[in-house]
Amino acid sequence: MEREEVKKRLTERFGDKIRIAEKSPARVYVYAENDIWVDLASYLFNELDARFDTGASVDDRDGVEVMFFMPFDREHYYVTIKTFAKKPNPTLDSISNVIPGAKWIEREIFEMYEVDFRNHPDLRPLLRADTRPADFYPGKRECKNELESARSREDGRERADEVAGKPPKGENP
Amino acid sequence: MVKKIPIGPYHPVLEEPEFFELHVEGERVVGIDITIGWSHRGIELLSEHKTWDQVPFLVERVCGICSCSHPFAYVKAVEDCAGIEVPLRAQYIRLIVAELERLHSHLLWTGLAGHFIGYNTVFMWAWKYREPVLDILEAVTGNRNHYAMLRVGGVRRDLPESEVPMVLERLDELEKNNELLTKAIVDDPVIHARTKGVGVFDRKMCRLYGALGPTARAGGYDVDARRDHPIDAYDKVDFDVILCENGDVFDKAVVRQLENFEAIKIIRQCLKQMEPGEIATEVHEIPPGEGLGIYEAPRGEVLHYIRSDGGNMPLRHKIRAPSFNNILTNEVSVVGETVADAGLITAAVDPCYSCTERVGIVDRGDGGRWVASEGDLIRMSQERTEKIRKELQGNRRNG
Repeated sequence: MEREEVKKRLTERFGDKIRIAEKSPARVYVYAENDIWVDLASYLFNELDARFDTGASVDDRDGVEVMFFMPFDREHYYVTIKTFAKKPNPTLDSISNVIPGAKWIEREIFEMYEVDFRNHPDLRPLLRADTRPADFYPGKRECKNELESARSREDGRERADEVAGKPPKGENP
Repeated sequence: MVKKIPIGPYHPVLEEPEFFELHVEGERVVGIDITIGWSHRGIELLSEHKTWDQVPFLVERVCGICSCSHPFAYVKAVEDCAGIEVPLRAQYIRLIVAELERLHSHLLWTGLAGHFIGYNTVFMWAWKYREPVLDILEAVTGNRNHYAMLRVGGVRRDLPESEVPMVLERLDELEKNNELLTKAIVDDPVIHARTKGVGVFDRKMCRLYGALGPTARAGGYDVDARRDHPIDAYDKVDFDVILCENGDVFDKAVVRQLENFEAIKIIRQCLKQMEPGEIATEVHEIPPGEGLGIYEAPRGEVLHYIRSDGGNMPLRHKIRAPSFNNILTNEVSVVGETVADAGLITAAVDPCYSCTERVGIVDRGDGGRWVASEGDLIRMSQERTEKIRKELQGNRRNG
């Protein structure tokens, strides 16, 4: 579906709950409010026939910016939908029940940025080692800062490893 | 009675650790639980501590086989963010290295798949034919792998004109050999019996699970970033996107073999069309903003997302390799199949998983457990091929 048509349909459907920005002919960004997040992804995927690609997230001090990439391949452009999950308890509805392919990326965002995806079928950490503390979220600004300050201390690397939950040197977990 | 069979996390044939817990009833798989993250190296975080120009050296180590694909997607993301134009000659050089990588990756997979089913002749042939591709890469880039060719704004080294006749000659040889290998695979009744209808993942499921690359195209899901989101000179060369429709292991092999011909076609066009000229644009700074880089790697689309605050390193760098989407498809394609086929099906998406394997079999009924050597799963798979081969020979004699 052509870019202008997609923008028109999204505006008709979601009104002022979204804001559309175009960076280039191949990149369209849709900023959405939390409460329409699943509807927006579902509408693009099921009604407008966008493909689901993957997601990403960025820690933005007051919250976590979550985005999913949904390209229109035949028309050669990417729609990126974005929303903002506010701290201290960033929470979003999961789109995994609509798009099963989103299961793993939501698990990854949860374990890296502590975004709680409501109604996710299986929100276990995906990548981290068993030894890492449950409340350590490596993508979060607070955890990164803690790591950096640990590294700058005298005991340097050992202390940083301790913060990240790594076993002491030479010890096999 | 349902039993659980763990496969992994370390595997003898492939490159990266994964853990598949198969739930089986007799020989039949009724469920699967997949655990990844066994070699999580924190490359995204490392990247955020390197300068824009250092990152390509890091991301080409995401995967040894895809050591052009990841830098390619990364530099495109940065160029998307900063609006950088790449000189035409550099665009063609990027394509040549990328398509050579596709050739060696597909041939490597074909060899491994042959080994998996106990067809070591295919393994020997495919890896023998792969060797000249690595020779070309060495001649063109200086390395058989980890080419260090791409940089933001262009490429680091020019393609030596003196090597072009050798490249063309090797491609001619490879084309003939690939034809021979493809015919051997497509016409072989044992391979048919062993791979057709096994591990089916159809078009509808591909869309729902976001399958990519040959895994998707084997099921008739028509996605290829080279055509859909062309970068650099991909819109200046002519090639076909190979599609099959059944989505089984056989079709995944056929797609890869036929894609080799297209890769050769693309390289020849690049060599013919490229003219002398600049190989890089000078890049002084990356402005604040974000960029998306998409490239069709041998295993499927690689995606890199970067965000810049105007500093000399990325504020955020997200990497998504195609195996991240494709391994999840095993949730569907392995269920209903036999244990002997499970290894083959998980390997058919050409995942990155690793180099030693343990197989533990847990009997939930009596709590008994035994740990077998890494060869057991492959042996079961090879025994099955042998059984089929004998049956076919018997049928031929009787018929």
